[in-house]
Amino acid sequence: MTRRFGRAAPGWLLIAIMLQAPSAFPQEQKISIVNPRGELPAIRLVPMAPRLDTLEGKTVYLIAVSFAVPLMPELQKLLSERYPRTTWVLKEKAGSYFDDDPKLWAEAKEKSNAVIMGVGH
Amino acid sequence: MGLPTAPISTQRFLEVAKTITFKKGMPRQRMTYVPHPVSGRPPEVVRKYLEGNDPVSGKPILEELLAALTRPLDDEEKKTGFVTRPPRPRLIGPHTPANLERMMVENGWTDGLPVVLPTEARVAAMLKGTRRAPGEIVGLMRPSPPHEGWEYTVEMVAANAVMAGARPEHLPVILALASTGVTSLFSSTTSFARMVLVSGPIAREIKMNSGIGALGPFNEANAVIGRAWTLMSKNLGGSIAGETYMGSQGNNLNYNNVCFAENEAALPAGWKPFHVQKGFKPEESVVSTFTGWSLINHAGAAARNKEEFKRVIAGLSASGMGMGVGQAVILLDPIVARDLGESFDTKEKFGAWLIQSLAAPGRVPGMGAAMEIIVVGGEANPCLTIGDFSYISSARVDPWR
Repeated sequence: MTRRFGRAAPGWLLIAIMLQAPSAFPQEQKISIVNPRGELPAIRLVPMAPRLDTLEGKTVYLIAVSFAVPLMPELQKLLSERYPRTTWVLKEKAGSYFDDDPKLWAEAKEKSNAVIMGVGH
Repeated sequence: MGLPTAPISTQRFLEVAKTITFKKGMPRQRMTYVPHPVSGRPPEVVRKYLEGNDPVSGKPILEELLAALTRPLDDEEKKTGFVTRPPRPRLIGPHTPANLERMMVENGWTDGLPVVLPTEARVAAMLKGTRRAPGEIVGLMRPSPPHEGWEYTVEMVAANAVMAGARPEHLPVILALASTGVTSLFSSTTSFARMVLVSGPIAREIKMNSGIGALGPFNEANAVIGRAWTLMSKNLGGSIAGETYMGSQGNNLNYNNVCFAENEAALPAGWKPFHVQKGFKPEESVVSTFTGWSLINHAGAAARNKEEFKRVIAGLSASGMGMGVGQAVILLDPIVARDLGESFDTKEKFGAWLIQSLAAPGRVPGMGAAMEIIVVGGEANPCLTIGDFSYISSARVDPWR
């Protein structure tokens, strides 16, 4: 066989042997594995801010985040038409979804009573 | 902010919103949804959405938003304290191997390909590749900034290395990669890819490929290190399609993350290896990561003179890859690098010339702000591959040996 197949013989034989060989574990044997998953952090519950009794006479910031930009101007128009006794102020958050905007949060805290935040495509 | 807030998003992000609000400690967040998408829709269409009902709750959208700001909080919404997470067992089983394999696939713990089951014996053997203690914390990884980060130990990384088919000698590189905390499955609807480059002596020691077929499926070390990063990103970094991973089409490069070694022996005189450019010593072993979306192969003999080369690059970048984000990685076959080395005695000079050339009138948008030059290939063709990738970070491998 070696003379006929030359250097191919050993590899060919090896494959034939492997096809016959038992798998690494007999399938009926039960084994354990090391958990490959990471450690999940604890979740601290954050209570929601108290709600307003009424929106009349109040200022609400409408904050657009990234791709939600087309949505929020239309929302401002509609809310202004339907609820004219509330002031609806349109704002755009700086940067992408991942960027913080502490200046805007501070402004909202100072100048508004509530926020509607638009996120998404 | 301490202000009552009503979030509004599009329907497609329902699961993402549930996941994030739960993990951020506000599981009862009063979400409102509109039909998806709003991006690119004309104002009259968006208005119609807003005048209609929330596709998830069925309630009129405007009323729902106002109620979110005014309806008094209930007891659940005022809760403080902590949410108990399920305990993490160190071992899973005992089960039959077939059941374990099926469980891992169905739970999304694999890349869809068969994995090597990380038995205690196999993980113990893998851990011989490092002198670090199994219980030592390696890092923390998250799919993207808003999501929670998962912490992991040397043993957890080793389990993923076993799954990927790695050997103990590959473990220091995989640990170094894990130590960066960078996920290979960044969650953006644009479907990011990653690239990983190994530099320094370890590339030779573990027989990585930097020559012919280096970017292809022809080398064990290149294959398993890249694959281990994807498995870690799922199992240690929490990437779950539809919940914390939203790549709309996904990216095929994520299977291996374009893992290769630079052909440092083929660098022209004066051209430093990538890790040395980033401030490491030549004798240090380093793993570096990059982020982008796509690669384009020039698929032919690259130009030998500077002006033609400029046209080739401009043509490739005009194809629209990378959405014109001003970043590029250029992978040069050693033949091309040698030719360019005759005109530019450093990578930096070549890169600066290219940026300046492309900044001229007729400049193709997206090229030039950040450009990395890497030499890889087997000198079968004077070709180049350009990727819209930018450099993220590097980590030393040696501390993990």
